[in-house]
Amino acid sequence: MPGLYGPTITSDPDDRGLQGNLSLTTITDLLQFLAASAESGAIKIVRHPQNDEGMIYFGKGQVLSANTSERTGLESFADMLNWSKGSFNFLPGITPLETSIGLSVQHAILEAIVLQENLTNSFTPNSAPVIEKGSMSMEQEPRESTDVMNDLLEISGIDAVVVVGRDGFVIESAGSSARVNIDELGASLAHSINGIEEMGSELNVNQFQDMFIEYGRAVIMCKPVGDAIAAIVTPDASKLGIIRHKTKKLFQELGLSF
Amino acid sequence: MTVMRNDVVKALAKVTVQSNEQGLIPEYEVLVNLLPVSLLNTLTERLLAAAPDRKPEIEAGLVRAAYECGYHTGCGIITSEIFSEVVMPMVTEDEKDILRGAYAAFTAWGWAKSGIVQLKEGKKMIVRAFDYYEADSKGEGLRAYMLQGLNQAFFDLTYADPYPDGMDTFVCKQTKGLETGDAYGEFIVTCK
Repeated sequence: MPGLYGPTITSDPDDRGLQGNLSLTTITDLLQFLAASAESGAIKIVRHPQNDEGMIYFGKGQVLSANTSERTGLESFADMLNWSKGSFNFLPGITPLETSIGLSVQHAILEAIVLQENLTNSFTPNSAPVIEKGSMSMEQEPRESTDVMNDLLEISGIDAVVVVGRDGFVIESAGSSARVNIDELGASLAHSINGIEEMGSELNVNQFQDMFIEYGRAVIMCKPVGDAIAAIVTPDASKLGIIRHKTKKLFQELGLSF
Repeated sequence: MTVMRNDVVKALAKVTVQSNEQGLIPEYEVLVNLLPVSLLNTLTERLLAAAPDRKPEIEAGLVRAAYECGYHTGCGIITSEIFSEVVMPMVTEDEKDILRGAYAAFTAWGWAKSGIVQLKEGKKMIVRAFDYYEADSKGEGLRAYMLQGLNQAFFDLTYADPYPDGMDTFVCKQTKGLETGDAYGEFIVTCK
């Protein structure tokens, strides 16, 4: 595969394996690429500077199993998705001793993110969003919402981003969708979220955190950002896991503006 | 349930207004009129052109005129029969929803296509507007005098002492403007 990922990934002619650096690509991108190529095998990941090691086994488009020195299964997979520095090595043809995950790549990523968010929420209830290095430092002035929305728009699969007030006022939008009228989305979204929040209140299950609506011709994903609601429009659900992963920090950053 | 902007706009847009023989429309316990926006903008331009060395005073006067008009008319709006019929049934978050309703009314009546972006109750409000009186006016710098005054008036009406004792509690500053090439007008209301 030389050239496809530039200097990030290189091909070893002896074992046909791929190797590279996590500073220039992400595990989610790598998995998606390998799944699309119908590859089977394992990715060995070494996190720097801790030297933690982990393995992700996959085949036929599924994440079969994962483990690190501390965890196994989905927990270890979720943990490794957050490793942003380190190296990886793809080992083709290797199969796991047992299947501890067994989900499609997209589904596994989605489940891992949900698991991670649940763990974070259970440890830090009502805490302010943690903005990590790379998106914004707390000492810096918050970026303009327009800049954050443009970054969201650059994520592959996102057609449009809209921020709507609780009253349905379309505060800001970026991009466009041939499938969804953004102004109408504002009003509809506010109605839906009100209903969902009333339900959450009735059921006493805390505030709403995410909503995915899958229609035949579009998928809409919503999250509260400050006092407003942000929604992204994608053509289908095929990249939802990746999108959810990549939008997480940007949504947190967007929340500082509203 | 909160105030749904579109529902308010649709309901208010159906209301028929009839002017009297002097061209004045008795609405919201005051007399309003229907005049072209260019009239206000021309007046502003002429005032500024007449005394360029007194620009800050004239600007403050224009904001003040809008503020006083907005404060009294605004009280008429939020206590009017039509506001009670259309907006109040949707109010579940008290002052916050009344303000949302007021901005929906602004939009319905064509005063400014505007809405609340951020609201810290009784402390701060950020408003964005995508159309307003001075958006196409001639001049230099930020100059949405009307909406500056109206924003301040509505925040005073909502969070300061009850009408008519709450004047001049808050102040509104314009930070972005359509008239200066920004994508929207932005206004920040804070304590004076």
